[in-house]
Amino acid sequence: MNCQRLKNWFEERYDFEELKRLTKHKLVPTHQYEIWYYTGGIAMFLFIIQFITGMVLAFYYIPYFEHAHKSIIEIVTKLNMGWFFRSLHHWGAQLAIVVLFIHVWSTLLLKSYRKPREFLWFSGFILLGISIFFGLSGYLLLWDERAFAAVRVATGGAGNLPIIGNFIKAFLRGGIDVTGDTLTRFYAFHVSILPLITLFLIGVHILLVQYHGMSVPLSLEKKPQKQIPFFPNLFYKDLIIWLIVLGIVVTLSTLLPPEIGKKADPLAPTPENIKPEWYFLFLFQTLKLFPGEIMGLNGETIAIILISCGILFFFLIPLFDRKSSRGEKSPVFTWIGIFYTVYFVVMTVIGFLS
Amino acid sequence: MLKIKLAISNWQLAIGKILLSIVLIFITTTPLWAQDKIEVFPTVPYDRFIIFQTLAIFWIAIIGLIIIIRMKLKEIEKIQKMGIDKEEKDIPLLD
Repeated sequence: MNCQRLKNWFEERYDFEELKRLTKHKLVPTHQYEIWYYTGGIAMFLFIIQFITGMVLAFYYIPYFEHAHKSIIEIVTKLNMGWFFRSLHHWGAQLAIVVLFIHVWSTLLLKSYRKPREFLWFSGFILLGISIFFGLSGYLLLWDERAFAAVRVATGGAGNLPIIGNFIKAFLRGGIDVTGDTLTRFYAFHVSILPLITLFLIGVHILLVQYHGMSVPLSLEKKPQKQIPFFPNLFYKDLIIWLIVLGIVVTLSTLLPPEIGKKADPLAPTPENIKPEWYFLFLFQTLKLFPGEIMGLNGETIAIILISCGILFFFLIPLFDRKSSRGEKSPVFTWIGIFYTVYFVVMTVIGFLS
Repeated sequence: MLKIKLAISNWQLAIGKILLSIVLIFITTTPLWAQDKIEVFPTVPYDRFIIFQTLAIFWIAIIGLIIIIRMKLKEIEKIQKMGIDKEEKDIPLLD
């Protein structure tokens, strides 16, 4: 069957012309802030890299506490290009979280969450949370002493939440402490539960973007709009950016492959100067600001409650910002957005340097 | 006298051998202490050279592709500006 016959075979069964017409007529606004449109595409591209490299690594990884660490050493030292795939997976994850943060903050500062795009914000925010959990669960799979201690701290922190804290901690750990059961559990999260939820949410997010169209910043909404076709103009620009991102990920993976520490020993004392992954540093640093006891109450519990309230407020911002929904400027929420951004950056830098 | 001299030289030789063996033991066992650090990048110089060379070629390929895509994009934008990309509805067909 030659190419034309194959094409005809499909066209007899499926209406490709309609799809072609749709892509041809899809227009996107072009303006001075259009650079932020690309962050969503970059995040999706990095997710694709993560899925591919993750599948390759899953062929050789053994999710059992006695063999997990050794299997990673074997992937890195014995398999052809194994070190490269692991490094790609590591750097792809780091960059994906960086890009997702930038995407969320650009959405926040440009007020792209305003009516009628609230569900776009919610789905994107949940995707960011899932990506962070992807990072945490993937970190434990290494089963080295740093990963073990970091997961112990992170799951212990969740346990400080009142009422549901202990349930969350036990559910994540699969027991009282971080053990081999936690590893199996995190592996199940990392390779099956989280990818399925992610795929579903990405699908919903993209569908909503198609349904609502690209958001235009409030300051430009009333001005005459210049639009360009999505295909090929924006698609070609996306391709250029994806190529640059691919180059950056490959370069980082080659020049800075992630280290592997000593095998985790649950009975050994926690190594000194242990720090969580960079995207948890702001939480880690915030916890340090609180004293052990505040008015007879556990300081860490109060800190966790305040942090949870802050994150919940951030999540529900589209419902609070009524002015943006009416198409009016809302400088208060711009300042709140700037405050969140500066707080995150400053606390992360302090956590990194201290 | 000669016997004493021979004995001394034998002693010197023996001490030399012991020292040499100690040095050799240290040299051969040093990697055992370094085994704590797991090599996450190929250690063979030739492999390293090939990897860095491939990285350089990879970047050249990326830059080349970017230039081609940009050229194509500019061509498309020029055609769109001229307005000759739109299909005419009542265009007469040659056949």
